[in-house]
Order: sequence, then structure tokens, then C-alpha cells
Amino acid sequence: MIQCPKCGVELEENANFCSLCGDPLAGKSSEDPAYVRSGKARKDEKFLTDYQKLTGFQKRKIFWKISGIVLISGIVSTLLIDFFVNQRISWSKFPATIGLVIYINFTLNTFLRKKVVFMLLLSFLSVTGLFTLFDFYAGGTGWEMKLGIPVLVAAYVIVLALIFVIRNSGQKGLNVIAYSLIASGMLCGCIDALITIYNRNSLGFDWSLVVMVSVLFVSVLLLYIHYQLRKATDLKRFFHI
Amino acid sequence: MDHKDSHRKQGPEKFWFALDNAAKIFPAVISKKFTAVFRLTAVFRQPVKIKPLRKAVLLAERRFPYFMVQLKEGFFWYYLEYLPQHIPIETDQQVYCVKFRKGELLIRILVKNTSLSIEFSHILTDGGGALEFLKTILVLYAGECGSEIPAAYQFPEPVAPIPEEEYEDAYSRYFKEEIPPMVKRSKAFHLPYTLKPFARFSRLNAILSIKELQQAARGKGVSLTVYLVAVYLYVLQEIFENRSTSNKYKRNKRLRIQVPVNLRKIFPSRTMRNFSLFVMPEIDLRLGHYTFDEIIKSVYHQMMLETDEKLINKNIARNVGGEKKLFVRGIPLFLKSFILRMKYYSLGPVQYSGVLTNIGKVTLPEEAGAMLDHFLITPPPPNKLLKVSCGAAGFGDKMVICFGNITHSHEFEEKYLQFIRDQMIAVERSEL
Repeated sequence: MIQCPKCGVELEENANFCSLCGDPLAGKSSEDPAYVRSGKARKDEKFLTDYQKLTGFQKRKIFWKISGIVLISGIVSTLLIDFFVNQRISWSKFPATIGLVIYINFTLNTFLRKKVVFMLLLSFLSVTGLFTLFDFYAGGTGWEMKLGIPVLVAAYVIVLALIFVIRNSGQKGLNVIAYSLIASGMLCGCIDALITIYNRNSLGFDWSLVVMVSVLFVSVLLLYIHYQLRKATDLKRFFHI
Repeated sequence: MDHKDSHRKQGPEKFWFALDNAAKIFPAVISKKFTAVFRLTAVFRQPVKIKPLRKAVLLAERRFPYFMVQLKEGFFWYYLEYLPQHIPIETDQQVYCVKFRKGELLIRILVKNTSLSIEFSHILTDGGGALEFLKTILVLYAGECGSEIPAAYQFPEPVAPIPEEEYEDAYSRYFKEEIPPMVKRSKAFHLPYTLKPFARFSRLNAILSIKELQQAARGKGVSLTVYLVAVYLYVLQEIFENRSTSNKYKRNKRLRIQVPVNLRKIFPSRTMRNFSLFVMPEIDLRLGHYTFDEIIKSVYHQMMLETDEKLINKNIARNVGGEKKLFVRGIPLFLKSFILRMKYYSLGPVQYSGVLTNIGKVTLPEEAGAMLDHFLITPPPPNKLLKVSCGAAGFGDKMVICFGNITHSHEFEEKYLQFIRDQMIAVERSEL
């Protein structure tokens, strides 16, 4: 019969620590093999596959490597096919450039996941580069400066804001959908405005107004359900009188 | 992936119920200082064995599902909702009757050396219900330690449906309409001590011999409770008379003691939730000095009169009548809480000078009882007007009186125990 020196309760003969206060018992230090084994044995009880044992970063790295192989081999094969068929690089520069930009973005997501702003900035630069190259391939119409890059800026800023809002919201559920809808509505507004400026040289909203109003209506409903009704899953108990 | 979750037993359905009539006031007035939490303690002869205790608590939890609830806010009322958690069993740090937090069960178990304590929020039940729960745990614990469990405490597996009567708000059952409600009483005298700062609740326990106490009470022809209440009033009178005439506390000259009465003994009900009311024996010092014998006589008759079924009905009518009115029910919760708080301050501790709760003599099956030394009830921390509260519990030949105090002074307790000593009753101070 042993007794915990701290809280005075009686414990099992083979106890290594007090199950009430958690203190290791006298003479049973944490280096005791019996003490160590108990924790280890508990861990081993959990059955895990090799893949489940990996950390998030290791999993992302595997995905990055596989996507690298697929994308780079794809780029090389399209370039080769185009070259052999046409004796020069013609159409294949488009898919090759897109593949390269996708790969760059996968790389950023794998290694810079913790630094969201930095990651998005580099990602933005890579897509800007993509647009510039497309314009260059197409003979330099200059659309990327007037339309492509402003839309891109709007998209990246809105996505960054969305990530910030979602990360800071306490309980995640319908509110995430609502925020995403609002963000997409705002993006539509930006795109609409930029297109009208590009076409008519004056600011105006056309179709995006309808999108924004309907998105707002649905979002408010979702937010109400999330924040108000969440507390009372059962209306009868919430409103019992 | 974590495979543990898939093996976790599915708990009962997420049931809920409304607060009983007595509990309704508490969520509105509970604070860090005024917690409405009381503690029942069983003191063993040997150190508590933790493993059998855990098993016993797990068994008892299944038998008393209505205690496994948390407090939730509705739009009109608070309600209690099933919370699939086990009752926490912790080391007793000897900090008594701490408030329960949001999202917690309203019950906790605290263990140290030979003492096993259960703390209950008054929202959940009263001393009567809590004692039944503690007794069940004690009998099951004795069973886990090798004793035979009496048939009354044996629960089939899975547990048979719990009788609805145990869940019920028994006040509502015995509510009769068209009974005139109680009239408001005048303000009562209050102890004049200064309060301690926060974490102010302390207690003092005294162990008395029931035999000796009973002899003294029988000598006066009254019950133990009446005797203890009379001593309470007598000591209050002495404190009152010792103050200078200009003392502001002397403005109110009625001395009143609130004595909870277990209504299960008057109205048949097996409810495990609150079902008690108060009687308030008083002496009016405007009529002059009372001798102890006069106080005993007066308290005896007042207690007999006030525990009369018809008068209790009048009390229930006051308490339940209010909550039955539709315009009261329709007030949103935040306003209702505000009104209840006001009501509590005007009708609550202002009307009485002290509380004495006697849970009586605890009886247990033989084998479980043999493991125990005594019982103890720690009353909820008194509010700032009341300053001192008092709880008594008997077991075997030991009556333990526990004084809860939030002031710097222990004059009241000292005087109380000295008076008992003067009646040739041995008093032993307990450190537990």
C-alpha cells in the first residue's frame, strides 16, 4: 500500500505517480525505466502508417517533389513535341510558361507557408512575370499593364485580407463560406471596374453590382446562422418560456 | 489518425431541462465572491483509495445523469444542458466553494488524505439531493473496496430508465393557485464585522458529541436544530447588546435566522433537484432582553408553526406564482436577471441575520459507514451582509458544526462555541 506524499491518498502498489495530483512518487524518478515505459507504451498503442507519421512539412515536400517531376517532364515533353512537329518553338511556350509558374507557386507554398505575406508577394511577382511573358509572346499589346496586373493586385490583396480574417475568426464554420463569398463579390467588383476603365476610360459598375448584392445577402444570412443560431441548435430550448 | 475517438462510447442524448424554482435566482446573483456553491465532505478513517473512488464516481455518474449538466443561457430563461464530461476529481487545495465557470459541470470532487468532498452549485440541487449523491458514491466506493453493496444501491447494467420524479421541479407540483403570498418582512440585524479582501472565505469546524448535545436539547424538550438555532440567536443577541447604543448596526432590532427545511420530508417527492424552503425564527429585541429559555421556547413554536404544510404552501405560492405569470416569463433574460438581482437584495439576506443549515444525521449501510469518521457541510460563502454562515452535519456520535466566515473577526464563532462549552458539551476544534 503506498500513499502519495503530496495529497495523501492511497494508490495502487505498482503506481509510479499519483493519479490524483500527477506527482511522481518518491524513489520513482522520471529516469526510472518503468516510468518512461508507461508513456512510450501509450504512444505505441496508436497505430500509424508511415505516411501518417510524417509532419505537415514533410508531406508537403513529397507533394512538391512529385508535382515537380510531373510539371517539368510535361514542360520538356511539350517543348520537344512542338519542336519536332514545327521545327521551332511556337505554341508550346504558353503551356511551358504556365507549368513553370505553377511549379514556382508550389515551391513557395512548400517552403514559405509560415510567411504568408512574403509568399503571396513572390507568387504575385511570378504571375506578373507570366502575364508580361504572354504579352511579349503575343507581340506587346500592353494589356498586362492596363488590365492584367491591376486585376492581379486586386486578387492578391483580397486573398491576403481573406486569409487574415479567416485566421482571426474564432470558430470556423459557415462564417468562412460567408467571408469567401464576400471576397469573391469584392473581386468581381474590382474586375468589373477595371474592365470598364480599360474599355471606356471611365469608372463604372455593370454586372458586378448584381453579384455583390446577392453575395452580400447570402453572406449576411450565413453569418447570422453562424453567430446567432449556433448558440441555440435547438430553438425550443433556447426560447423556452 | 486518432483511433481513440471511434471507440469512445456514445453518451446519452443531449437532454436539457429548465431550472427549478429555487435555482432560478442563482444565475442572476452568483459572483466570484457569492458563489452559491456548497460542499459536502465525508471524512474517512483511512486515506482515500483513489482507484476505487474513480470507479465509484463513474458508476454514480450513470445513475444521476441529471447532475451531468452545464448552465446555458436561453432567450427568456437559463437552462441546464447535458454535458458529456466526467466529474472532475482533483486534489483538495482547501480553497472552498469556488465558483463554477461557464461550460463546466456544476459539480466537482476534491480529495485529500482522508477527506472526500463534493462541491455542488445550488443551481443543481440542495443539500438533500447532494447528500443522496455523496451517499451513493460512498456505498459504491465501499463496494469497490470489497464490501457488499445493498440492493438499494445496486444499479443494473445498462442503468434502468431514471424515474422522472427525480428530475422534477417539485415546487411546481405542489404549487397551488389562489393562495395569498407571503408578506415582506422588516430588515434584520447584521453582524458588524469588517470584510476581508478577496479570497475571503474561510471556515472553522467544531466537532461535538451528538449524545451530549441531544441531552442538552432534550433537557429543554426540543430538537437539535431548534437548540442550535436558539444558541445562534442568543449569541447574536449578546453581540447586539455589547455594541454601543449609537452603533449603526443597532438600527434593525430583529434577529432572524434562516433555517433551510428539506421539503421532501413534508411533501412526498423523490426529486434530486432543489426542494427546500426556509423558515425564519426570530426574536424582536425591541421587546427587551431574552433569556436562553425564552429563546428556545419561542424558536420551538415558530419552527413548529412555520413548517406547517399550509404555511409552506403560502411560501411556495410566493416563489412559484411569480414565475408562472406570462408577463414575467416573457421578459428577456438580461432584464429578468437584473430584476431578480434587485429582488434578491430587497428580499434576501436583508431580512435575516444568519443561516443555519442542518442536514441532520447521515445514515449509511453498515459496511460503508464503518469506513467513515464524520461528515461535514460547508455552507455557501455568505454575502457581505450576512458575513457568517453555519452548517451542521451529524454522523455516528459526531456532530460537526462548520462556520463559514468572510470577515476578520471570529467573535461570533468563539462566542457560539463557548456557549456550548458552558452547557457542559465538549467541543473539539477540527483542522480539516
